[in-house]
Amino acid sequence: MLRELDPLLHSQLRLAVISILMSVDEADFVFLRKKTDSTAGNLSVQLDKLTAAEYISAERIIDGKKTRTICRMTDKGRKAFENYVDALKEYLNVNK
Amino acid sequence: MEEKNINEKESLELISQMIQSTKEYIEVGKGNHFLYWGYYTTALAVIVYLVYEITGWKNSGYLWLLMFVFWIFMTIFNRRKHHAVMTYTNKVVNHVWYVIGSMFIVTFAVILVLGLIYNHYTSLNLMMPLSAIYVGIGVSITGIIVQNRWVANLPFVGIGIGLYMLTALYLNIPPTISWNLLFGLSFIIMMAIPGHILNKKEKTEC
Repeated sequence: MLRELDPLLHSQLRLAVISILMSVDEADFVFLRKKTDSTAGNLSVQLDKLTAAEYISAERIIDGKKTRTICRMTDKGRKAFENYVDALKEYLNVNK
Repeated sequence: MEEKNINEKESLELISQMIQSTKEYIEVGKGNHFLYWGYYTTALAVIVYLVYEITGWKNSGYLWLLMFVFWIFMTIFNRRKHHAVMTYTNKVVNHVWYVIGSMFIVTFAVILVLGLIYNHYTSLNLMMPLSAIYVGIGVSITGIIVQNRWVANLPFVGIGIGLYMLTALYLNIPPTISWNLLFGLSFIIMMAIPGHILNKKEKTEC
């Protein structure tokens, strides 16, 4: 029986964010917005969902007069991503 | 990009596309660090040489202490600057330069303390060849990490110059004022040129 795909990751924007954060140590909000070509409002909502699930950590820092949000993967997020990719392979019969 | 569900095939394509788009990302400004340090060191080398030639001041070598002023300035400058993204490559390169910087401090401290104990400061002459070797190693490792063969190999010219000076000192051949020019030249070859190469690479990839 096929495993269920993690609904939190099986969404275009959230999966894009997680994929970026898996390949870097940390990235700020502006970088993620540019790379995913998303709106600030939408990205903010999706980051909140990922943070609430403890898949990523978001740290707000003061940079001069601006506030910046730095995002990083958590161990729980890494594990969830690995499971998601394994499940995808099963669906697509990649290992067979 | 929106918040929408995608099928399994699209998911894999998206993961691959996002990882690929960040894989080759080199922090913008990495080349500039090499340019700042390379040109500043070369300019100071020429100034030390000219001050000696024009005024005959035998202790013009003390002007090298201005490197520490520049170091403090760059440290403050870098602390104020925040980066949009930190890749694992950038992190490793930063760690390499942390080690190189620490080696400078330890070397200078040991030479200075021994000078104070024995009241004999000619060992400070070692700083010039050791600096060329340390910086050469740092730039070369950076080149290997960012996979650029020019940045990885050009520093061997500077390392060679450093080893020449070190051997000369070991053989009791006294350093001449023209060593400053040679040292400056080594920094153009092993820092300024790699800096331009890295900047060109960044412009192509970003």
